[in-house]
Amino acid sequence: MSYLVQEDFVRYECTCGSLSPIPKLYFCRHCLKLRCGYCVCHEVDSHYCSNCMEHLPSAEAKMKKNRCVMCFDCPNCFHTLSIRATTRAPEDGSNKGHLKHYYLSCFFCRWTTRDVGIPDQIASSGNWPLKENPHQELLSSFLEHYKVVAMRERSQKDKKPIFPRRGYSTYTEKFGLTNLIARKRAGLPSLPLPGKEVNPASIPPIKPCVATDVIDTLPASYFTDVPDLTKITTIAQRHANPMIQATVASELHPQHRHFFIKRSLRCRSCEHNVSKPEYNPASIKFKIQQAAYYHVPEIRIKTFEPLRAGKPSEIILKVTNPTSHVTSLSFSPKSEVNKGGVSDSVILDSLGAPKKTVEIPRPVVQDEPNTQVELPTEPIVLPARDDAAEYDDSGDTHNFHDDANVVVWRKGNKAAVKFRIVPDRGMKPGDRSIFSFSMEYGYVNTMPTTAEQKSPQRAEMQVNVLIAPGLIVGNLD
Amino acid sequence: MALYEGLSAEKQAVVLDLGSRYTKFGFVGEYSPRCIIPSEIRCPRTNKVRRIYDYENEQDLYSLLVAFIHKLYFKHVLVSPKDRNVVIVESLLCPTFIRDTLASVLFRHYEVSSILFVPSQLVALYALGVRSALVVDIGHEEAQVIPVYEGVPVLTAWEAQQLAGRAVENRIRDNLVRAYKDFAGASGDAPMPIPGVDVASLPESVIEDIKVRACFVTTRGRGEAIADGKPPPEPPVLEYLLEGNQMLLVPGWVRESSCEVIFERDNEEASLANLILDSIRKCPIDSRVTLAENIVLVGGTAMLPGFKARLMEELKFLMKTSYENRLAFSTVKFHTPPAKENYTCWLGGAIFGSTDMIQMRAFTRESYLTKKAVPDWSNLATNILYLSKLTI
Amino acid sequence: MELQDIYYDKTEYVETTSGNKVSRQTVLCGSQNIVLNGKCIVQSDAIIRGDLANVRTGRYCIISKNAVIRPPFKKFSKGVAFFPLHMGDHVYVGENSKVNAAVVGSYVHIGKNVVIGRRCVLKDCCMIEDGSVLPPETVVPSFTLYSGSPATWTENLPDCTQDIMIEYTRNYYQHFVPRPI
Repeated sequence: MSYLVQEDFVRYECTCGSLSPIPKLYFCRHCLKLRCGYCVCHEVDSHYCSNCMEHLPSAEAKMKKNRCVMCFDCPNCFHTLSIRATTRAPEDGSNKGHLKHYYLSCFFCRWTTRDVGIPDQIASSGNWPLKENPHQELLSSFLEHYKVVAMRERSQKDKKPIFPRRGYSTYTEKFGLTNLIARKRAGLPSLPLPGKEVNPASIPPIKPCVATDVIDTLPASYFTDVPDLTKITTIAQRHANPMIQATVASELHPQHRHFFIKRSLRCRSCEHNVSKPEYNPASIKFKIQQAAYYHVPEIRIKTFEPLRAGKPSEIILKVTNPTSHVTSLSFSPKSEVNKGGVSDSVILDSLGAPKKTVEIPRPVVQDEPNTQVELPTEPIVLPARDDAAEYDDSGDTHNFHDDANVVVWRKGNKAAVKFRIVPDRGMKPGDRSIFSFSMEYGYVNTMPTTAEQKSPQRAEMQVNVLIAPGLIVGNLD
Repeated sequence: MALYEGLSAEKQAVVLDLGSRYTKFGFVGEYSPRCIIPSEIRCPRTNKVRRIYDYENEQDLYSLLVAFIHKLYFKHVLVSPKDRNVVIVESLLCPTFIRDTLASVLFRHYEVSSILFVPSQLVALYALGVRSALVVDIGHEEAQVIPVYEGVPVLTAWEAQQLAGRAVENRIRDNLVRAYKDFAGASGDAPMPIPGVDVASLPESVIEDIKVRACFVTTRGRGEAIADGKPPPEPPVLEYLLEGNQMLLVPGWVRESSCEVIFERDNEEASLANLILDSIRKCPIDSRVTLAENIVLVGGTAMLPGFKARLMEELKFLMKTSYENRLAFSTVKFHTPPAKENYTCWLGGAIFGSTDMIQMRAFTRESYLTKKAVPDWSNLATNILYLSKLTI
Repeated sequence: MELQDIYYDKTEYVETTSGNKVSRQTVLCGSQNIVLNGKCIVQSDAIIRGDLANVRTGRYCIISKNAVIRPPFKKFSKGVAFFPLHMGDHVYVGENSKVNAAVVGSYVHIGKNVVIGRRCVLKDCCMIEDGSVLPPETVVPSFTLYSGSPATWTENLPDCTQDIMIEYTRNYYQHFVPRPI
């Protein structure tokens, strides 16, 4: 959770070159590569309403214009409206008992549908009036008109240019067959008759807008009245409903609540999902979930001595092995393997078979290391993660031959490793110290990549890590 | 009708109108955009809001666009961008650099199947159902005037000046600073309290809010009087509540005169009315009457109260004075589009994009990847082809 | 950054057999209606209003200083009724926050100085940023970060939020130790 509230002290370099903290990274088990939000393909998985948690299939969500049928948003502050009920005696004075009346009210800004004169409803689900586009009919006629015009142009363009084709025409003349019959014999559809679609009568007529030179002048009240800002809508309120864009608060109208989505992520190179959520919006489970958090050793800063430019200080990093296999970590200076290249993405062309590689430009990375680091030379073995050990308070049973100057603490799948860092001499107090190194780790892929492979595959992985422990507190002297 | 349904079975294309201040985004065949949102994103590292058009270099613009388009698709229209057609409504005067970067983001990062670039000035006519018009686009950055005659933009006659939303906002800020100096100077006997507000560093959102909610375009008569230094009786002062319970006083003259920046005729004779008349004058004489009687005002700044009335007054005045006998037409008429001005161009794109034009004219991903460049009218290698495609 | 040890005064805190660490400086009204399911920490000056309705928390819940946990009410035509407040496992409630929710799911992080309006529902794996105000009856879906006033969606949370929260609350509990003498 420290990841959720703290800034990112430790960042990993993704295959595409961007730097992200480990919770935001994914690990594609098919390519054995790190992926981040930038270099995976995002897809809309399911639509749901964040208020009533109803989820709809995409086709239905599209029909409803991505808006919930039941819930409404406050047009004033954009919070969800709640349904309130009041009981009123029937207006005609009959004794049919009290009728319940419903209206919508915002619990945050106290706006209600009564403020804008929307009548109360008798049913709680309410047939709340919706505003239609006032120009619907006119625009539909435009749409139809231009569709036909475009279709005509297309058919003209698609039509083969009429010039005699030698071989074909002599053949048909020789045997006295017309072009039409020849086509029929060949089982081809007959050509559209020229002029059939071009017929101007088939184009629906439109009534173009008419310009006018009579423009309403500015009402005189602008010069005399103090504007009441509570009655004039803000630009955000106007844009919330692009069709109406009410300028005065009395014309605000509640809108159905916009859906949220769950998204799935797909690796661009192998087209496998790296994350696919459950359909149910209330579920926090995943069908596929390949976060790097479960596959790549995690590094955290445990403590460090105050940083001074040019002066060595000790920093202790805690490394954790999240996998259920023993791994061994070794450190080396930052590798340039990832640099310069571009992450690739494979697309299928329209036939499906040949693959083309498309370059995605690398994201911009500004942070450059400014601190030297002394790395441990010996690899560090990390045991597998054992959930039961979490509850075991007894001492460790493992026997590791660690250098006590390097590995200062160990428990279960975790170890604390000591590093020495020296911020560059030129740095001033207040500068952010950044150092980086490459971490190699063994990874056991339990997912069979091909049908023949039954046993898990071991692979040596490498990742560049960038660590920014903090600010320089002073100079050497 | 059956045919249309057959076509709509494929993924419905989206229409993008990326403005310098606000972006309009929605689906083809719909009559209003799904969202109008500020063209800006919050940088996840620094947590600062950055406008797309405030980019530093091409790489920066690329990453800004990647983040912004992600927000458009996954927060607002909720569809996957991959293998979906995009209609981009852009001004004919849009820098090639932005257009190329946008195409690169959409084709490479989002893997859209095709892009159809449509000139905003041309497609605005589809929202009106007319074939010829003088399109005056007053957005945030610039006022652009481009005549379109019988479906062909008259590119030689374009006019543009930075007389738009941003100019008004700058003027509001300058005026407020001046007003606050006056308050301080007159503090001796003025009944007005001197509120301790740092006017010069008010956030842009506050200035924009004042513009939208409190400013208006005054009449020509009053505007002239203000310019001559003989101000008419001032409109009432506005008390604007800032965050932290500070009160900002917006004097009536600031509210009234800030929009004058668009209509002021300085030595360069470059007010908005001048631009319009100059543009018409550059057109062939037989097209001028049609253009003058079919003026279309689009862009958010044209929605300011009193804007159209004032522009009409200015045009009529100029036609009687400095442009007399030089125009070959005697009336000007404005259109009222069946949409709000700020999304009229978008609407035209949505109507245009719902026809078969996407299949016929769109620039596909395959050809982008082979050509590695986007065709443009200003590019000699492609412009012949492209211009012939502009008309229906 | 690894969590540092947080020391408490041994005389101030009571530790129950199920591992709950509760400060003596708290106001636990109607304690018979409060169930802390084990390994929970309730820090000084926190208020839990068990007298209004049942309050039940899961394991590894951390209720920071000055936080108020108060069951929500609903107005009816005949009066007011209070509803129980359920909190899942691995929930963190920041300092000075007021929680009036009906349900707080598991793996939820509530920042400092937050107001959670009455009858809100916080689904599993969500987070409310410091200083936010959640209006009454808001539903916060999973894997979202809400902030502002009124709090609205700001960002999505990483997919592994659940494990991050488990790790954090466990770590917090392990580092919450009596001051060495």
